[in-house]
Amino acid sequence: MIHLFNISKHYENQTALRDVTFSVEKGEMVFITGPSGSGKTTLLRLIYLAERPDEGTISVAEWELGKMKESSIPLLRRNIGFIFQDFRLLNNKNVFENVALALRIRGVDEKELKIRVFDALKEVNLRHKSDSYPLALSGGEQQRVVIARAIFSDPTIVLADEPTGNVDSDTAAGIIRTFKEINARGSTILVATHNRDLFRGTGRRVLKFDTGNLVGQEAG
Amino acid sequence: MIPYSFRLAAQSILHEKWINFLSVLTIAACLLITAFVAVFVYNVDALTKKLPEKFSMMLYLKDNLPGAGIENILNTLRRDDAVETVKYIPKDEALKELKAELKDATYVLEGLDENPLHDSIEIKLKRSVLGPEAVKKLSTKVKAIEGVAEVEYGEKFLSAIYSIKMGIRALGIIFIAIMSAGVIFVCYSTVKILFYRKKEEIETYKLIGATKGFIRAPFVIEGAAIGFCGGLLSLIGLLSLYYILFLKLSLSIPLFKNIIFPSQISPLLPLTGLLLGIAGAVIAIGRIRY
Repeated sequence: MIHLFNISKHYENQTALRDVTFSVEKGEMVFITGPSGSGKTTLLRLIYLAERPDEGTISVAEWELGKMKESSIPLLRRNIGFIFQDFRLLNNKNVFENVALALRIRGVDEKELKIRVFDALKEVNLRHKSDSYPLALSGGEQQRVVIARAIFSDPTIVLADEPTGNVDSDTAAGIIRTFKEINARGSTILVATHNRDLFRGTGRRVLKFDTGNLVGQEAG
Repeated sequence: MIPYSFRLAAQSILHEKWINFLSVLTIAACLLITAFVAVFVYNVDALTKKLPEKFSMMLYLKDNLPGAGIENILNTLRRDDAVETVKYIPKDEALKELKAELKDATYVLEGLDENPLHDSIEIKLKRSVLGPEAVKKLSTKVKAIEGVAEVEYGEKFLSAIYSIKMGIRALGIIFIAIMSAGVIFVCYSTVKILFYRKKEEIETYKLIGATKGFIRAPFVIEGAAIGFCGGLLSLIGLLSLYYILFLKLSLSIPLFKNIIFPSQISPLLPLTGLLLGIAGAVIAIGRIRY
């Protein structure tokens, strides 16, 4: 499903990723771990083409990203549910509208949109907050809105960047439970986290990164 | 997608009401001035189009031409595409007219043994040929007709009128182009400001898979709405000025009675505003990169 081959990414004074090669199979749920600055976020950004690698090739589903035209990028991103570290919620829109936005860009009609948005909010226990605005929510609630926006359509791939960075351990456990559920429905999931508790005992594959290098793999 | 884009545009217009309102006023002022210039140019054009009714060319014939020769000249002139009407004036009739015009000063003609005037032909030209070059060409052509002694027409007057008309038209076009650029710039600036204010929002749209069209549409609609409202407001201003000011003034100042209000300008103003607004918005958004 996701294949990275000899990927390197350099910024002005530092190397974010160096000669990284790995694959994630369809339906797998994989954790990426490592300290801050190890290249986890850069890796995810390369997969949804927020950035392009300096060297190497990436393929996601049927797309060879290096050959992808700019006009096709929205199509790639519609197949990826992304949970951003900084949430990226629109503060001038309520919870319902924030989640609905992902459906509106797909041109889903209003009737279906309402059903799907409320279903997604129910899944993350935020049905009662649909009229609230992001700034009125706690960090954990905001994180769950982002998850609802990312998973509502059972995307082919879910990329999550520190999805439990702003939540307590109970909420974190709930988030991982949600990931497992959508993974069971067939989505391929890649979770970047520095929190080892998150994958301990899950039995899922863990890719370990340090200063831009893939330094090992283990079972969680 | 389209209704949602309209909704986003409407929300933005209401949310940023002051900047949008000021833009609408500026556009309305620009288009109102433009409309005034257009009306002025239109009136100058209409005025010069009336000239052929007054403009004529005089052909003075050689003395003692036989009737058949005169008839031949008249027929040649009637066949010419540029000629509207032909009128033969015998020299006796011309003298009679001259005496009538001189009224009490007929003494200037006393002592003349014979009629000093020539038989002449007055021709009026079609509107389509009334340019200095075409008239000059025609005068050369008719002068070459056998029996024509001299051709006279208001060459300098015609050239001056034509130059004034073309000059005013050119200035009008330049002015309208400048004002149109001004309207585009106002729409451009407004949409650019709104676009920058929503930079974060646009980034999020891009990251969750919005197409360029989805991102652009609300801004283009907003630009179009601003332009259209500006155009509509300028039309209201123009009509108000025409019906309240001009029509009242024409009662006391006859000159104003001759001013024509071209009705086709009414739908043109909002439409021009709309198109210029779209142009400004499209330029402001520029190329969207992922």
